[in-house]
Amino acid sequence: MSMKTCAVGLSALLLLLGLPGLASGQTPEQNPTPPATTTATATTTEAATEQAAEAPPACADCHDEAKVFATNTHARGATITQGVVSNDTCVACHGDGTEHALSGGDKTKITKPAGLTGSNDTCLLCHETSTDRLSRRGGMHANTATVNCLTCHSIHHPDPRSPHLVARPQLELCGSCHTQSAGFINKPYRHRLGRGGMECSSCHEPHGRPSTSVRSMAMLNPLRTTHAGEAPCLNCHADKRGPYVFPHGANAVGDCVSCHEVHGSSNPKQLKRANVWQLCIECHSPIAGNTLGSQPPSFHNLSNPRYRNCTSCHTAVHGSNRDPQLLK
Amino acid sequence: MKTRSLVLWACLALLAIAAHAQTPVDVEVGYRWLSLSGNSDMYRTQINERDGLLIRALTLASTDTPYTDHFRLDISDLGVGPAGSLRLDAGKTSVYRFTLAYRQTNSFSALPGFANPLLGQGVIPGQHTYDRDRRMIDADLELLRWSKITPFIGLSWNRYSGPGTTTYHVGQDEFALGSSLTNRDQEIRGGAAFEFAMFTGQVTQGWRTFKDHETLTLLPGANAGNNSDPILGQPINATAITRDDRADGHTPFTNAYVTGQFTNRLRVIGNFVRFAANSNSDENENDAGSFASFAISRFFKSLTEEVNGRAKNTTWRGGARAEVIVTDKVDFLAGFQREHRALEGSALINDLYMQTVNFGGLDPRDIQTIVKSKSSLDRDEDVLDAAISARALGPFSLRAGFSTSHQDVDVSPDLSEIVVPGSSQGGTFSRRVNTSDLSGSFAKAGFTLGAAWRHDSANDPILRTDFLKRDRIRARAGWLSPSRFFRAGVVAEESTPKNDSPGFAYDSKIRQYTAEAELSPTEIIRVHAAASRYRADSTIVYRHPENFTLDTSVHAENGKSYEGGVGLVFAPASIDASYSRFDNSGTTPFTIDRYHARVMFNLVGRTGAVAEFDRDKYNEPAPSYGSFQASRYGIYLRWTQ
Repeated sequence: MSMKTCAVGLSALLLLLGLPGLASGQTPEQNPTPPATTTATATTTEAATEQAAEAPPACADCHDEAKVFATNTHARGATITQGVVSNDTCVACHGDGTEHALSGGDKTKITKPAGLTGSNDTCLLCHETSTDRLSRRGGMHANTATVNCLTCHSIHHPDPRSPHLVARPQLELCGSCHTQSAGFINKPYRHRLGRGGMECSSCHEPHGRPSTSVRSMAMLNPLRTTHAGEAPCLNCHADKRGPYVFPHGANAVGDCVSCHEVHGSSNPKQLKRANVWQLCIECHSPIAGNTLGSQPPSFHNLSNPRYRNCTSCHTAVHGSNRDPQLLK
Repeated sequence: MKTRSLVLWACLALLAIAAHAQTPVDVEVGYRWLSLSGNSDMYRTQINERDGLLIRALTLASTDTPYTDHFRLDISDLGVGPAGSLRLDAGKTSVYRFTLAYRQTNSFSALPGFANPLLGQGVIPGQHTYDRDRRMIDADLELLRWSKITPFIGLSWNRYSGPGTTTYHVGQDEFALGSSLTNRDQEIRGGAAFEFAMFTGQVTQGWRTFKDHETLTLLPGANAGNNSDPILGQPINATAITRDDRADGHTPFTNAYVTGQFTNRLRVIGNFVRFAANSNSDENENDAGSFASFAISRFFKSLTEEVNGRAKNTTWRGGARAEVIVTDKVDFLAGFQREHRALEGSALINDLYMQTVNFGGLDPRDIQTIVKSKSSLDRDEDVLDAAISARALGPFSLRAGFSTSHQDVDVSPDLSEIVVPGSSQGGTFSRRVNTSDLSGSFAKAGFTLGAAWRHDSANDPILRTDFLKRDRIRARAGWLSPSRFFRAGVVAEESTPKNDSPGFAYDSKIRQYTAEAELSPTEIIRVHAAASRYRADSTIVYRHPENFTLDTSVHAENGKSYEGGVGLVFAPASIDASYSRFDNSGTTPFTIDRYHARVMFNLVGRTGAVAEFDRDKYNEPAPSYGSFQASRYGIYLRWTQ
């Protein structure tokens, strides 16, 4: 299937899913016919008055958050009346608010999840999922007083342009603690984070387990993988996946980070060394020990610019289907 | 119509409909202009923001369409690029959930100093350049009808294509070539998440295919090659080089995990993933000119090459881990993982050298060589880890862990790879790394303190730059005032990988220090400042290949970064402005000054105007090939409802 077909399909799908409801000009606030999930409303003024007198106060009567909560992830499946979620939605996290309401808003009579206790007692009641890579208990961001669910997520005031109810744009949020990684972003060659769809979590799994000293990037728990369980780099750079008849040993043994500095580099190819020849010669140097690939690079004269530009000849540095010496 | 335009216009159409329907929308659409001086190739390599129409941002959310009870569309920088994305999350509770992500990126590279042996002669850019587009789509559908099982299917496309230039070596010279590349990667997957009694988990089965096609032709004017020196008295040149490379492959994969909650205090998680990637390649090359080959010890006038290759990568990984709640405050965590990767490849290389003569100019004949070449590599890695974690000791948390990883690599190279006989190109390599870590944090009254120490100790290197010892220390402190009007934080981190063994003398030290503060005395003003320093010093002994003398490779970076910004909100306008400077000395000195300003002004009703300004000044010291100054001006219409 061609990419253009995909694009046409994508466009059609967007319109199919979004168009009918939107085109009708009916938003939840304007819908004259309540949807099936909507609370039934009284048909006469008298009945409405009677019902209002008997009904418990609605959270939205006082709390503006409840009026705009309908599009929140946590409102999925909720009863929505004229764009306002029912009290049941709020109760899931805040507990029964009847006494709170009847007392005129006594804050001691309502649960307000906050900090470690709030995360443990509220968020993790539903979200304590443990998978092969995730752990809310043993994760690097495992719930502590310092870092817990509500440190990064804001249920009522998330960044409006970010998914998953994160409190701020990811680059800002993650960078507020991981300032050292944010510092890499200032380098001239780096992934374009924060704009165009790539974020820290494109590669990192914030709920992942702490890393161990492993060679395989796919075994690094705080990283995401492809669906096939490979290093996250290959989610985008699929053309570097191979398999090749002659893979580069550094890649085959050490994965992408043997040579690349992924967060940002002074080298245009995001290499770990400023000069390509330095990166190559540091491994390809037969001196001592039994190390892989320490064969000399022929008899190349490094004082000649021709030989200092290793990749001018060894163009297939990621792997070749033709040449064991990765010449093409 | 280009794919990008199609998606863009579909989004704009949807936006118009949403506008009519008064659906909640927040959108910025407009135009961006570029003003550029200096090296435009370097600008495009680093930043690449161009003139054109742009959906700077869009969020559209609805709770009620006929087919969904939640519908959210997010767009970032879709349009002229260089990178844009669209994300859709829609569904109906207890019926289905559909997610779709589309990303487009333009990858550009044309650098003065990369793959450029002619830089000293002032020839720029280098000979390896590209201007390629990547388009990616991921779509997943989950069926939520059933409580115990959730079937799903997913599709992914990834297409990377466009022109480029490259070089390769033929006949004892390198020639500049034009390249046209198309790489397509497609994946279909299906499976189910399940929840039965104490077990939850997920199984995914997928199939991936790829097709890769690259054509290469000699660039006009590149006939003389890079090396002007004759070989054994004969000039080397090419009158024609054409190459056509095709590769395709398929990869079935299985990915599964299951979590067993055996008691309230014991949870065990098992996982397994396996893929078997197979590829077939066909490469055809025709060269004409005047060449030399030391492999056949002859000059030749033309070469016809056919290569048929096969490669396979079979990888599996499996393991189990346990999470034990020892007390309400203390957890014990332990696990084991094994990964096995087997790579093997073989190629049949059929070369026909025409009109050859020996280096004395005698014995004319055509020569055919047929070489079967193959390689294989087996890689195993085992990791055993255990940790005790006390996450909630009042304001404190502590964690102590130990892990041991063991890697075995068995390499059988093709004979032609071996320059000097010996074991280092092939053979068996083994490495064990023991890791101890200790970390703790404290949080109280807005203060947070954290410290982490980690020590790695290895027995042998496999690659020359592997450490034998490494210590990593990180310390962090922060304070958030009660009314959140002031926030400050400092982080210091040091990592010291080393291998003191004779013949290596690998000594590296990487240090990063950062301090930042943010002041928000009122709701209308926010001031932010940060300073950071990055230092890397790395040395390792290497051998000069031309005369076998030993030397030291020195890599040094000393980067200093300063940032400052202010945000002002005074209705109906808001302003964000910031400046940063990155000053790097060491092996590659340069400075970058970045200016950013964004002014948002509410106009009538829910419409507003956004003006955005970005300027990047990249400076290299003389002789400067890559310096540039680029200003971008964006004017966007903002509309919310």
